[in-house]
Amino acid sequence: MLANKCWQTLSRYSFCCVAFCICLVISFKSLASTQLQSRWQQVESLGKDQSVYFYAWGGDAQINAYIQWAAQQVKAKYNINLVHVKLSDTSEAVSRVLAEKSANNNDKGSVDLIWINGANFATMSEHSLLLKQWANKLPNFSYTDPDNNPAVNFDFGIPTNGMEAPWGQASLTFYYDSLAIDGTANNTLPKTLNQLLSWSAQNPGRFSYPKPPDFLGMSFLKYALVMLHQQSDDTLKAQLNQLATAQNTAQVLNPLWDFLNKLHPTLWRGGKHFMQSGAQMRRLVGDTELSIAFTFSAPEVPAAVKRYDLPKSIRSYAMQDGSLSNTHFVAIPYNASHAQSAQLVANFLLSPEAQAQKQKASIWGDKSVLIQSTLTPQQQALFKTTQPHPSALPLNSIKRTLNEPHPSWVNAIMQGWQTRFGVSQ
Amino acid sequence: MSVVSNKLAASPTLKPHKSADMFSKLVTLSPRFLLALLILPVIGGLISVLLPAFGYAPVLEHTTLGLHGFTMLMQTPGLTHMGMLSVGSGLISTLLAFIITLMILATFFNSPWLNRIQRLLSPILVIPHAAAAIAVGFLIAPSGMISRLVSPWFSGWELAPNGMFPHDAFGISIILGLTLKELPFLLLMALGVLAQPELGKKLRQQHKVALNLGYCPMTAFFKVVLPSLYPLLRLPILAVLAYASASVEMPLILGPNTPPTLAVAIMHWFNDVDLNLRIKASAGALLQLVLTGGLLALWLGGEKTIKALFSDLLTNGEREYGGVYWQKITTVLTVFVIGFILLSLIGLIMWSVAGFWRFPAALPDQLTLLHFKSALMQMQSPLFNTLAIGLVTTLFAIIITLLCLESEQLSAKPMSRFTSLIIYLPLLVPSIAFLFGLVWLQQLVNNQAAFFNVVFTHLLFVLPYVFLSLASSYRRLDPRFAHVAASLGATPCKVFLQVKLPQLFAPILIAAALGLAISFGQYLPTLLAGGGRIATITTEAVTLANGASRRTSAVYAIMQMALPLIGFILAWVLPKYFFKSAHR
Repeated sequence: MLANKCWQTLSRYSFCCVAFCICLVISFKSLASTQLQSRWQQVESLGKDQSVYFYAWGGDAQINAYIQWAAQQVKAKYNINLVHVKLSDTSEAVSRVLAEKSANNNDKGSVDLIWINGANFATMSEHSLLLKQWANKLPNFSYTDPDNNPAVNFDFGIPTNGMEAPWGQASLTFYYDSLAIDGTANNTLPKTLNQLLSWSAQNPGRFSYPKPPDFLGMSFLKYALVMLHQQSDDTLKAQLNQLATAQNTAQVLNPLWDFLNKLHPTLWRGGKHFMQSGAQMRRLVGDTELSIAFTFSAPEVPAAVKRYDLPKSIRSYAMQDGSLSNTHFVAIPYNASHAQSAQLVANFLLSPEAQAQKQKASIWGDKSVLIQSTLTPQQQALFKTTQPHPSALPLNSIKRTLNEPHPSWVNAIMQGWQTRFGVSQ
Repeated sequence: MSVVSNKLAASPTLKPHKSADMFSKLVTLSPRFLLALLILPVIGGLISVLLPAFGYAPVLEHTTLGLHGFTMLMQTPGLTHMGMLSVGSGLISTLLAFIITLMILATFFNSPWLNRIQRLLSPILVIPHAAAAIAVGFLIAPSGMISRLVSPWFSGWELAPNGMFPHDAFGISIILGLTLKELPFLLLMALGVLAQPELGKKLRQQHKVALNLGYCPMTAFFKVVLPSLYPLLRLPILAVLAYASASVEMPLILGPNTPPTLAVAIMHWFNDVDLNLRIKASAGALLQLVLTGGLLALWLGGEKTIKALFSDLLTNGEREYGGVYWQKITTVLTVFVIGFILLSLIGLIMWSVAGFWRFPAALPDQLTLLHFKSALMQMQSPLFNTLAIGLVTTLFAIIITLLCLESEQLSAKPMSRFTSLIIYLPLLVPSIAFLFGLVWLQQLVNNQAAFFNVVFTHLLFVLPYVFLSLASSYRRLDPRFAHVAASLGATPCKVFLQVKLPQLFAPILIAAALGLAISFGQYLPTLLAGGGRIATITTEAVTLANGASRRTSAVYAIMQMALPLIGFILAWVLPKYFFKSAHR
């Protein structure tokens, strides 16, 4: 009886306790969300009616046009004047922010928003040149499903800590001249790294890659590195996702140097001269000097054909042994003059509307970072696709994606490459 | 007569006007202002490069002085190669341009062909280096115009062959591009000297005397004209040499990259993601300075040696050194050079309107205005910036130049040798060596006024050309007009504005067109001083040359050429309608 009473009291108490806890949690949560909401309202009210200087690579007419579209949208939405500062290399903007820091300009920086990933991000984050903990608080960030989709919180394996908002995803895509690679014996389309090596040996001078530290050239080297370690044991393979150190560098990179020593004599200009950029590589395909090339932005290929920059005979495909993939981001420097406005722009760039526009093959064709299940049916409808161009990458042709190695490998590869191949004999 | 003119000359000082004080003060101060304007940024920029080179870079947490930067620089693979490439391409291209200039002058001296060649070549002067490099690259590439003309009927090439140009390891493509670009400059400089009424007349008469004494025309040129001509060409040649050894655009587009030239490598280091490379870049900039300085010294030394070795030849009485053959060779060479330039330009124009144009077709499959349309859509704000910066810079440069020249006349003292040398300073010091420092200084002073920074930096490069272009006309002004006006009671200010300037209308317009052309063509100064915020046609053209299609590049290159050309046409046409009487 007593025990029963005791039990009743206890259970009543514990019920109260649980209820109280639940109330507490809910109130905290709502407090937190109202805090987030009020934070965003503050950003919105402070960020309106200003200019945002967006430092972004400007070498592609399609991407430039998309940024112009985004500028019109934020102008209508927030009366923000989005100015695209066209860079030929993102490191120029990194230098700029650094120069400003050195001149003690800590709050009137010229860069408000920067398109970035990989090594440039690693440098800026290492030198504390970026604004922290803002990207994860953007309202539209929730559409990326960050809890189940770590790709948006890591940039080449480095945690972003809310310093950058995801913008798009890219995969290494190859394209070739179907009149030059006609499928005859010794001239069939190479679909793996090894086939590429033997094809290049049989067709010397028809393939090359941009000179490191060019982003695309580095990507090819990383693709080769990851592929060459497919058969390695797990401890060696795991090194790719860790910091490059003096101890592991030789062991990890030696297979790459062996491969390049075989590949280089078969390349364009005998591997003694390398093109400066991916765009120059594309031009050489247009000139029929090269027969096969690659890009990180697949839609630039059909766009180039439409602009006559590539011949009609160009076809795109993905390597069967895997496609190197990564996410690219926008970040705000720590000294940005218009940090709030830049957040409004970044949030807009993450909106389903902007991401769907970006994914359209006729606009840019850059893969969205949003997860479809977080979207409403109306929002999902925005992403419906149309018939692709004959030279575009066929839908769903990327069967296997390869993750980027740790960004410290970029430097290790670059320095090793420079000492081995930087000065032609 | 001489008494009268002396009195007249003295009259402005005899009758000082109070209202003229401001103007006179302004005029007397202007040469000092000019010197400060040219010296301070260059020296300041150099110091700001010097400090990081010796390890002082607070932002990178390096504050201890040391030779760390130089050690890093010395360890760079292929450093010797880079230096050799810079020095070699600079020296050989300047030498070639100089020799061809002399041969053309010697062959066509006193012939109507000289003017025709001048007219054909002078538009090349306004083509920015980047555009010229793009055009030359297209001509000599394996899929280029020359290769297309012989394929496939002769060569059997269905795909572009494996070639070595451009980007050959020896820098031949760079030499070719630089020579073609510097040749018109030197030729026009020489013709400018010969156009000076007194000197030109004297030299032409001496040449005729030599001909009458039985000298072959070429020999006569080398023995009679050149010794008087060369001293006046020395500074332009040195400027060309300094530029060629440290330029960025040509080697970037035509040069090798394993390794590149030193200047290009320095630019890459400055822009590298690894910020510590900046120290190495600063050390490299100093090395570039030493190399360029060495080249200039080498040239001056070579000049002395040649003078010592060959001065006897001037008076040995020998009339003939196979002049007929040399004349033939020169004619062939001239036709070759002009043909090469024309073919590049034709290629450029075809690319700007080409549809599909697969190798080995010599002509595009279809013509389209698509590239012009899409480029013009995106060109509005860069176009506006280009014009605004060019106009403000040129206006400022012309005002300062006129004031300085007026001060020279008012004080009746010619400009000191020091000052005339300083005017060349921004042209003699490799811009890659001081621009980065200058930008850093500008950041310290004012950060937000990007437009002002760009104008200021452009001024450094525009001012020398405007000054050189105006000086000869100004000094040639007949002083009697001014004297008469002054004796009638006109203030110096009024004389300057109402007597002198109208007479100088045509030369001022030419100088303005030249100033605009120089400003339009600036790449590195615009990019660095504007912090990338100020886009001009040239910065867009170089970005697109690295990033987009040959067709779009061609459109931008054509725009780059069209703008200065319009300026020169205006400078040529306007004087026919205004102040006609002054320009007899």
